[in-house]
Amino acid sequence: MAKSRFGFPPRAGDWALACLPLVFLLAALIAPALRLLAEAADVGSSDAAWLAPLQDPYLRWRLLWSGLQAGITCGLVLLLGLPMAWVLARLEFAGRSGLLRALMLPFVVPTLVAAMGVLALAGPQGLWQRWGGASWQGTPYLLLYGNVFFNLCVLVRAATEALEQVSASRVAAARTLGATPWRAFWRIEWPAIAPWLMSALCLVFLYCFAGFGLALVLGGPGYATVEVEIYTLVAYELQINQAGVLAVWTLCLTAPCALAYAILERRLATPLRADRIARHKPQSTGQWLAVCLTVLMLGLVCAAPVLAIVARAVGAGAAAWAVLLEPDTLHALWNTLRFSASALVLATVLGVCHAMAAQRWALLRAIAFLPFVVSPVLVAFGLLLLYPAWAASAPLLVAAYALLAYPFIAKSLASALDGMPAHYMHAAASLGASPWRAFWRVRWPLLQPALRRGMAFAAATAVGEFAVTLFLSRPEWATLTTLIYEHLGRPGQTHYASALVLSCALMALAFGAFMLMEWPARDDPLNPSPHA
Amino acid sequence: MQHGIFLFSRRKALITTLLGGAWLCAGFASASQELRVLTHSSFGVPKPLLAQFEKEAGVKLRISKAGDAGEMLNKLILTRKAPIADVVYGIDNTLAAKAIAADVLDAYSGPASQRAAAQALPAPLVPVDYGYVTINYDVQWFAKRNLALPSSLDDLAQPTMARLLVVQNPATSSTGYAFLLATIGAMGEEKAFDWWARMRKGGVKVAKGWSEAYYTDFSRAEGGTRPLVISYATSPAAELFYSKEKLTQPPTGSLSLPGAVFKQVEGVALVKGGQARPAAEKFIEFMRSAEVQKQMQTEMWMYPVEPGVARADVMKFAPEPAKADTPSDKDIADKGATWVARWTQVVLK
Repeated sequence: MAKSRFGFPPRAGDWALACLPLVFLLAALIAPALRLLAEAADVGSSDAAWLAPLQDPYLRWRLLWSGLQAGITCGLVLLLGLPMAWVLARLEFAGRSGLLRALMLPFVVPTLVAAMGVLALAGPQGLWQRWGGASWQGTPYLLLYGNVFFNLCVLVRAATEALEQVSASRVAAARTLGATPWRAFWRIEWPAIAPWLMSALCLVFLYCFAGFGLALVLGGPGYATVEVEIYTLVAYELQINQAGVLAVWTLCLTAPCALAYAILERRLATPLRADRIARHKPQSTGQWLAVCLTVLMLGLVCAAPVLAIVARAVGAGAAAWAVLLEPDTLHALWNTLRFSASALVLATVLGVCHAMAAQRWALLRAIAFLPFVVSPVLVAFGLLLLYPAWAASAPLLVAAYALLAYPFIAKSLASALDGMPAHYMHAAASLGASPWRAFWRVRWPLLQPALRRGMAFAAATAVGEFAVTLFLSRPEWATLTTLIYEHLGRPGQTHYASALVLSCALMALAFGAFMLMEWPARDDPLNPSPHA
Repeated sequence: MQHGIFLFSRRKALITTLLGGAWLCAGFASASQELRVLTHSSFGVPKPLLAQFEKEAGVKLRISKAGDAGEMLNKLILTRKAPIADVVYGIDNTLAAKAIAADVLDAYSGPASQRAAAQALPAPLVPVDYGYVTINYDVQWFAKRNLALPSSLDDLAQPTMARLLVVQNPATSSTGYAFLLATIGAMGEEKAFDWWARMRKGGVKVAKGWSEAYYTDFSRAEGGTRPLVISYATSPAAELFYSKEKLTQPPTGSLSLPGAVFKQVEGVALVKGGQARPAAEKFIEFMRSAEVQKQMQTEMWMYPVEPGVARADVMKFAPEPAKADTPSDKDIADKGATWVARWTQVVLK
């Protein structure tokens, strides 16, 4: 497997594979956004002021704060997540795998519901304040906490998987040669997991930078991000030119980050080892303490808001739970399932093609981030303009879901492909396997864990909320998330209680889906768990 | 052989996936004769009524919810060359002039447009329902502290009062926009923004939208601290209607301060360039039919414009404010965007 640092030139085969995702991105993302910008003059949008984001202190602060809060979140999740991941990867304790899966739950909680959970803890009159702390209302901490709540799982899961790939014999050799555990970690484990961490941090950065649901609710007007500004300009003021200018600035700031990441990842890639470090039961008090601390931290950061929601739903009483059996709810459940499943199938095909094509092609890797960086509101409005006949049609909706979900699969697979030792394929070829057969029988099975991880994230994105507010939604296609928002859009205690109960149902459904998706990992013939 | 089984199961999995995918997509197939209705996300007409309409008009309804009314109209304006709907419901008096200027609506002269209505909208919009955006308060909160309710906008701007109110950002919320318009309608632009500057100093809170304000900041919400919130005059009735313990008195009240009430009239209209014209016209009549006018009251919490239609029982807890301060449709169309920009400058920046 030849490695070229900048990935040029790609081979013909790469082009062929890249065709599908590139055409999809062009049709579903780039063309709609450009089409919308082309319409700007026609709807009386004022002229584009290219330097406005630099000259206007308000916009400058928006851009700066967007980057700042994303950067701070990256630092926080690395600091919190890495030790947790180490515990999860090295120590065996009851409930470990359940914990890993439960980590994904924040991803599916509708933002407004999550905000309610966060506010119940850290807002005015929240638990935190009752225990003597100050309310976080009106400070940036509320948004940062929300960011960490949503993104910690991205880092912890990536780091856990990375730590599981570290070569046991190398660590053992280092220890035999007298290295302290800390030194062994720093010299052997850290270089091996760095690309995985980079990948995850990059995702976290872009997600926070471009994320807008959370910023809208928790940031408050003072700490809203640039994406909120773009949304307001397009959806309410039809100032498409100004929005376009901001979108281009955003792209200019995030694109180098994505590109640098793509190049770095190729450079840092180290083939994975077959000799994994086996997990063991905590042996010392220190290790037990580490487990307890991990569980405690996860509880504080990720579980507390979720539990606050569950507690309130339970407190709403049996009458509120009857909403689960209403025909509307059952229909929404069915819709959630079929939309997510369709989107997941499409996203998997796109993600696999993209990752396979991007192995030697750094630019293509960076392009996988486009769906995160290009403002979804530009895309949503652009799609309507470009394909009016398809407006409010299921294929368009599924394509939109898949668009935002597939980069997770592409990223995850690309990292796994980097770590794949070349000699496996050589061995298969020398034993007479055709390239296709070698792929199907050797590489594909080895990619399964990464594929499942990516698919879990993709599914979480699809059942989550993003498209709910931006795309046309038809009542007969209402999903659980749409239903939750409908209840929250009306006054009255029963509506509020229904929203809470439905949020619990959504989380339970998502948790079940993750369990199902990752279940086969246990008896994967090529990746036996240490206890098999 | 184990490997054979392994391969077979994978192939089987693939086939299952493909078949499953085809089956999932099959469910999405749509009928041929359709009426495309564009609405805002609060649209609520009971399903049996919609089904009856489909049967009588001989069409399949395809309702698309396009976000809140402002967002919906912008989508309609952007796609005017190839419209995404045949009939649109939910354009209100704040948006009417904009819609007419953008030339996205077609004239309609059927019975519903000629009949007397409690409220009017500029043609070609046919009025359907109306309501009032106003300040709501938490009854218990004020009773417990034995505090007097604010009696005027000036009173509200006192620092002790301003920090009790949560408003919605007019740039992202139609209730927030309506409230801003009411203050301008009552005091005039200059005085209104002076008042807003005082509100900012006093500590008024700004939330993104109605749901955020009502369900996280309002003191009736868990963790909320603000006993005053911008909502509708009908919200107390809705609170009673949807109360868990079946209250006899609403837990909230609407505070119709002079200068803080905005009258909102929502209408329905034909979309220029739309298809299925006969069915679209029938839909306009349908929205004004006695049954819809009666039943939408407790679905959308608006008052019916059809004079002969009885009010729902619970609406007695939602008295209509005596006076509303609404700038002219033309002023709203001409200056609305400038006012929002100025509001952002005064209250947020």
